[in-house]
Parts: sequence; C-alpha cells; structure tokens
Amino acid sequence: MDPIEAEEAMTGSDESTESGMPLIRLSDVSKIYHLESGDFTALDHVSLDINEGEFVAIMGPSGSGKSTMMNQLGILDVPTTGKLYINGRDVATLTPLERTHMRRDVIGYIFQKFYLIPLLTAYENVEYPLILRYKKRDDTGKAAAVLKSVGFDEALSAHRPTQLSGGQQQRVAIARALVNEPKIILCDEPTGNLDSKTGKQIMDILCRLNGEGKTVILVTHDPKTAECARRTIHLADGRVVES
Amino acid sequence: MKDIFFDLSVRSVKLNFLRSILASVGIVIGVVAISAMGMLGTNMQLSVKSQLSSDVNTVIITPDVVKQTSIGGATIATTTIDTSELQDITSAAGQNTVIPIHRTSSPFYIGSTEGRGSIYGLNPTDIPKFLSVAQGQYTEGGSDALVGPTIASNFNMNLGTRIKIGSESPGAILPAVRVSGILAARGITSDNVNSDNAIIVPDLWYTNTYGGLNLYDQVNVIVTNIDQLNETEAAINAKINRNGDVVRITDATSRLATINQTLGTMTSFILAIGAISLVVAAVSIFNVMMMSVKERVQEIGILLSIGTEKGEVRRMFLYEAFILGLIGAVVGGIMSTIIGYSVVSAMIGNTSYFFQPASIMFVPEGMIIGIVVCIASGLYPAWMASNMDPIDALRSE
Repeated sequence: MDPIEAEEAMTGSDESTESGMPLIRLSDVSKIYHLESGDFTALDHVSLDINEGEFVAIMGPSGSGKSTMMNQLGILDVPTTGKLYINGRDVATLTPLERTHMRRDVIGYIFQKFYLIPLLTAYENVEYPLILRYKKRDDTGKAAAVLKSVGFDEALSAHRPTQLSGGQQQRVAIARALVNEPKIILCDEPTGNLDSKTGKQIMDILCRLNGEGKTVILVTHDPKTAECARRTIHLADGRVVES
Repeated sequence: MKDIFFDLSVRSVKLNFLRSILASVGIVIGVVAISAMGMLGTNMQLSVKSQLSSDVNTVIITPDVVKQTSIGGATIATTTIDTSELQDITSAAGQNTVIPIHRTSSPFYIGSTEGRGSIYGLNPTDIPKFLSVAQGQYTEGGSDALVGPTIASNFNMNLGTRIKIGSESPGAILPAVRVSGILAARGITSDNVNSDNAIIVPDLWYTNTYGGLNLYDQVNVIVTNIDQLNETEAAINAKINRNGDVVRITDATSRLATINQTLGTMTSFILAIGAISLVVAAVSIFNVMMMSVKERVQEIGILLSIGTEKGEVRRMFLYEAFILGLIGAVVGGIMSTIIGYSVVSAMIGNTSYFFQPASIMFVPEGMIIGIVVCIASGLYPAWMASNMDPIDALRSE
C-alpha cells in the first residue's frame, strides 16, 4: 500500500457514497458546553445529511449554532451526543491523529479572516498543506497551478499575506483549501471581510468549484451570499428550523 | 529550506531578532562560564600533573622509627636511615639509582642579608642524576654549592656568591659555601626534594658541618622502568621492613592522585558556578519561548485547524529553541576559546596544555550543554503550543 492509499484508508474513502451513506451525516447531534453559569446547548439534536457535490448554505442569526456546526463539520470538535459521520467515518471513533489527517486531506477550510500563516509567502501558504500531506516540498507545480487558477501569478505568489489585499488573501486561502483536493470545502463567512465586488468574485470561484463537483458548505448570515447555494439550512437556537 | 517547520522557526527568530539575540546572550554567558572555567581547572590539573609526573618514577624512603644512635661517643635519639638500611635498600633496588639525602633547614647569610632555606647534602656524583644546572657548573665537592633558582633570585645570588650557613652568634665563624651553579627550575616536585628554594651542598661538607655521617634523612630510588615502580617498592619493603616498619615508602602516584582529586573537586566547584549562569539562561529562553507561543496563538490555531500534527507544531517550537541555543553556543564557543585562553594565560602562565583534548573539549561540551539547555527550556512551551484547542486558538486576537 503506497502512502496515499494508506492515508485514504485512514481518512475514509469513496465507500461512503458507494454504501449509500451521504458524505456528511449528522444523526441526532447535540453539543453542550458546560459553563460556570450552567450548561449551554449550542446544537440541539440536529439530524442532517449532505451529499457529495451539494452546495449548502447554513444560515441563522448570531448564537444560532452556525459556528458550532462548522466546528463539528470541520472536525475541530466532536459532538456531546449523537453521531457525526464524515466520508463514511464516525468522527467520535477517530484518534486525534486521524482527525488531524482528515482535516488535512478531506476538508478544505476557508475562514472569514483568511487566517493565512503570516510568516509564509502566498505560494508557501498554498504549498503548506501539500507539505503536511506528502512530508516534502512541492516539486509537482501543483501549488503554483492552484494559485494560478485563482488568478495569482508568480510575482504575486512571492508576497507575504500582509502585502496582499483582502480579496487577494481570500484567493490564497481558497487555493490553500483546494490544493489537497478535499471532498468538502467549508466556508465560514468567506466574504464577510470583503467589499461587495470582491465578495462576488470569491463567490463565483466557489460556485465554479461546486460546478466541478466539490461539496461546498457555506456559513453566512447574508442571503445574497447564500444565493449560490442550491440548499439552505436555517438554524435557530441550535436546531434546524428549515432545510 | 527543505523543512518548512525549520523555515518557520528561522523566520520567527528573525522577526523577533533583538529579543532572540538577548535570549541567546544568556546562553553565550553560560557556555563561556562553563567552558572557560572548565578549561582553567583542567589546565591547572594538567600543569600540576605534568610537573609532578617528571619525577613520578621516584620511590621516597624516609625513616619511620626513632632509633638510639651513637654520634661522637654520645647516644642520641635519631630518625635517620643508617648504612645497613641503605645497603638493604640498594640491594632491593637492584639496577635502579639510589640517592641518599641529608636534609635540614637553616638560616644563611649573604653578606649581612639573612635568609632561611632547605640545605640538602648530596653526593656530587648523584646530583646530575635528577637535578639540572641552568647556569654555572655542578659541584665537584669541597665547599662548592648549587642553589635553586627561587632562592638565587630572592637573595640576588650569582655564581661565586659566598653563603654563610648557620645561626650567627658573637665570635662564631660560620661555615661558608660558594655558589658554583644555579639549578634549573623544577616547580612542584614529587620526590620530596624542593630544590628551587634550597642550597645543595656536597655530602661531606654537610656531615662535617652538621654531623650524621652515614646517617640519612631520606633515600630516593629512581626507578628506570616506571612499570616496575610497585615491584621495586615491594622489594624494598620486604627487605627492610621485614621485622616491622623501619622506613616509610611512598611514591608520587598517591600524592599525584590526592592533588588531582583536590584540583578535580575545585574544577567541579567552578563548573557548578558556571552552571548557575546556564540556569539563568534557561529561564530566559523559557520566557522567550513562552512569549513566542503566546504571541502566535492564532497562528498555532491556523496550523492545527488545517491539519498540522501536534508533533509538527512541537517540532517548530523546538527548532526555535534549538536556533537560539545554536546562536548562543556558536558565539559562546568562540568567546570561551578566546576568554579561556586569556584566563589560563593570566592565571597559570602556561598555555601549552590549552589545546590538548582534555582542555579544549570543554568548548564543544559547553556548546552542546548550551543547546541541550535551550531545547529543554523549549519543551514545555512547545508542548503547550501543540496541545492548544484549535477553536480557542483561532478565536484569540
């Protein structure tokens, strides 16, 4: 078994779709935070299926559980009760290292604040997930190609994040999310820090990616941003109120 | 750069250049303290050992019992080695050189200047066997004497200088010797003949002046083959002490071991003082590493959220500690070589042992200790960074 096959065995495979299980399944998922003031239920018995190739928008007011949902889908957190399956694997049964590898290989994260690594250039930020996965610098030209696909030439790729505009930073973040060819792209308010024109350009890129078969999950409070989505899930008080 | 985590660490150090350099200064001081002090102690040990080792092949035999001896018709108690005992020693020593020695301490006068020193009475033929003349010539007997370089320097003795030996009293005519040669310096010796600060007179002149013909205060046996030292000692002991301890037999090895142990303890002590500065440096590195982690919480959150393994985050911070240690160790290594050389030169006055492995090894040793201390100081901050909750880390500003 070569290293990539081994990784796929660890992080899941196409078995999920072949066996009829959706790419993402939340089954009666609750997330309860134990605070000093008492327990706070951020997600309350949520059940939901998201199939491969979907473009789903998750909407809801502040405190509705959107971020908690994103943390669950991004495997940054695990449910308090219920089952969460991603790519056919029960997240609760994964070891911390397996979760890390799943975040690296199955999920591409795009944040509102871009969250690029400040010490690395645009190119290195995109190359970084490849290095994490293959344990070596990218000699295939893949990082450069993905950067080019979001409109970055070689000269611009050598800039540090602080030398780039918000729109450019978000393009780099998208390239970083795409470079390992993840099945799921999670977008947390990706246009929240951008002007409307740049925001539209970013959404066009996400729509194009969905058109190419990527599963895109978008958290937003802006109905205009959610227009691209073919399905919208509304959350309120940690519950799905409309899907 | 091949390893992106090393690259990130290098860039972080560059970004906080002044802070990193200041933290490394602590390591520089620690490495210099350990290396320079270690080299000083070792050079001291090597220097003393070398001086003692030059006559380490000498067996020293001194009387161990008080005997009733008849001198000039009167019976007196003496602690000397007599002719029969000397014959036993000579017989047991075989082909090795046997040197009977008369010894006392006496006042002397150079003109009206009074001094005090050791007076050794030696057969003129024995003197060249273990003492060298730096100036003038060996004594051939009579009243020609040799003087050590220290006593010669302290009392302005030159070739031909007349030395009156004994306590001056009204009407008394003191016996005198004339300096025929000045001995070469021997420094610390282990054959119990401290010639640097002594007057060496012919044995006949000595016994004519002090009495004690055929009675010796000490007998030295110079063993030709150092490997036979213990064997020779055993043979002498078996021969002369067969009916109880008549003489005490020693050699330089036990003395050398004692001095080495003392100097070793001293070296350890000064090394411990040096190590304190490394502890201070370790606290400084720990502080800098903690600051680095605290300042980069969000970055750590990004790294963890996009699939960086905990071990990789740990490695990144340990690299940073290693870089700080490496900078400190390299600068410290260079400085400790320079400072160590100066200190050894100033305090011992002899740098011929400085580049010997036992001495110069303190430089790489100090450097390695400096780097290890840095990495150890970075362990907890690195562990803390790798175990952060990515959600909390991402939320931090």
